[in-house]
Amino acid sequence: MGTNIKVQQVDEYRFRIPREGKMRVPGLVYATEKMMQDIRKDASLDQVANVAHLPGIVRHSLAMSDIHWGYGFPIGGVAAFDEHEGVLSPGGVGYDINCGVRLLRSNLPKSAIDGLLPELSKEMLRAIPSGVGSKSHRCLTDRELDEVMVQGSAWAVDAGYGRASDLEATEEGGRMRGADPDAVSERARERGLPQLGSLGSGNHFCELGWVAEVYDEPTASAFGLEQGQLTVMIHSGSRGFGYQICDDSLRTMMKASKHYGIELPDRQLCAAPLQSPEAQRYFGAMACAVNFAFANRQMMTQFVRDSLSRFLGEREVSLGLELVYDVCHNIAKWEEHEVDGKQRRLCVHRKGATRAFPAGHPELSARYRSVGQPVLVPGDMGRYSFVMVGTERAMKETWGSCCHGAGRRMSRKAALKVAGKRRIFEQLQSQGVWVRSMSKRTVAEEIPEAYKDVADVVEVIHQAGLARKVARLEPLAVVKG
Amino acid sequence: MNGSGHRFVDHTADVAIEVWAPSEEALLVEAARALIAVLTEDACIEPSDQCTLDLESTDEEDRLVRWLNEVLWLAIGKGFLLSDADISLHADGLSARITGQKEASDRIASEIKSATYHDLRLAREPSGRYVARVVLDV
Repeated sequence: MGTNIKVQQVDEYRFRIPREGKMRVPGLVYATEKMMQDIRKDASLDQVANVAHLPGIVRHSLAMSDIHWGYGFPIGGVAAFDEHEGVLSPGGVGYDINCGVRLLRSNLPKSAIDGLLPELSKEMLRAIPSGVGSKSHRCLTDRELDEVMVQGSAWAVDAGYGRASDLEATEEGGRMRGADPDAVSERARERGLPQLGSLGSGNHFCELGWVAEVYDEPTASAFGLEQGQLTVMIHSGSRGFGYQICDDSLRTMMKASKHYGIELPDRQLCAAPLQSPEAQRYFGAMACAVNFAFANRQMMTQFVRDSLSRFLGEREVSLGLELVYDVCHNIAKWEEHEVDGKQRRLCVHRKGATRAFPAGHPELSARYRSVGQPVLVPGDMGRYSFVMVGTERAMKETWGSCCHGAGRRMSRKAALKVAGKRRIFEQLQSQGVWVRSMSKRTVAEEIPEAYKDVADVVEVIHQAGLARKVARLEPLAVVKG
Repeated sequence: MNGSGHRFVDHTADVAIEVWAPSEEALLVEAARALIAVLTEDACIEPSDQCTLDLESTDEEDRLVRWLNEVLWLAIGKGFLLSDADISLHADGLSARITGQKEASDRIASEIKSATYHDLRLAREPSGRYVARVVLDV
């Protein structure tokens, strides 16, 4: 496959794709020279260049160090658009709208669950609806779905899932403004009703882990994290509700691209001008999916709290299990950013990328305003994940964005071959990781070797100054879909 | 059926299918069978029930994606798994009489988010054979 795109090395962690042909701006990729050799093997750099064709794109088309081939936009892609000249593109958000991850801290040391992992992991599998077409413990009514679409996490908290304090530890306060339930199709609603409060499948997971190493003590402490402490991570998105909204939007946006004369190097980059009714309608539907995903992760948070409390025979309040933060990986948002000395309102698309706002940013709740925003970067199920913190440099260079995770390096087919007849579950157990899943095949497709080493991805972001490493988490018990 | 087939092509995060058939109608049926094979991990589908569907599309490639997403919805939303179909193509869409198995949700073994427009190809070769490539987001 490969690419012919020319790149110029800017420094050890930055590569520029110069403006050529119909690109309106250059590209900027965060990676090492070694990573670039792999990156060049597929068409991801072409995708970075393609995004640069879109009208109203400001400054550059970005890709983080977990870049890989996606739909239209590369995974790891970030692009900001001028509010008057720019466009909104569903491909810059993805099918799994507001796929994201949240982290809970606890008052428990790792030793509190010594010898309990086999049973505890079984209990987690039971407590969290997961697997193909996973359905929640409850099916929403139409009226409840209307409320979820607008209120997001707040609906879940009001319905008894979680604490009010969870909202200030969630991006957007767990509730994105601008949601328009009328913009959501009947089919999306049908897909969504039975699925709120379920993990889904593929690379979604719920993971009990521990803080293996702290790199930045004061920041870790401000996040409520300390070495040796148990943590829980939940990775999931908007389920069939979001996938349907994305699919519905592509048809409209392809027509709109023609209508507004937007030349597309790739059909999946279809877009409409931000001020157009088509873009506003998609934004309204997207926000509904964003809120659905927040409510989804919020509900599962309570399932985890209930489950651990029951299993350990301890009251939830003594376990702690506070939400550290919840971040989105696939989203388009209106944000204020400085461009050439002036504050401008831009529509920032993050597709497999995480917001990473610095200390002092007014969007951050009081809890984190003096520290900076927690950034969660999950790795594969065998190795580790990272907690980072946003920086000023990210605001200046990447619209306050950084990487989101490990990124696959092997196809599912290849992973199944490599997994072969290997006893994956036993092998992971021998490393101290208990994986439970409704599907052996999913676990085989998700073996650690199928993923890049997230430590490499994170190191680039850290060295480039976009976010700082705060702590490394390691898995103990993992529920996979 | 004769001269129709499909294969799966390596793709980093998703499933890409390549399909070929002697006519465009047969191509659509073969692509649908490939999608059901992914969804059910190659389960055998009984041709015991029937249903119909109509859809609108803007061009042949869009029609292929629309068709696959309708077949997907029939499966995951209605529990009806396609085994075969009789398709009539129109300028702006298609009508289909679908044979398959109803109440078959329990045969679904894997998740497909959507058929996508990524790297989409549908073409008629000089030999008259139709070929297509579609990526499924899984």
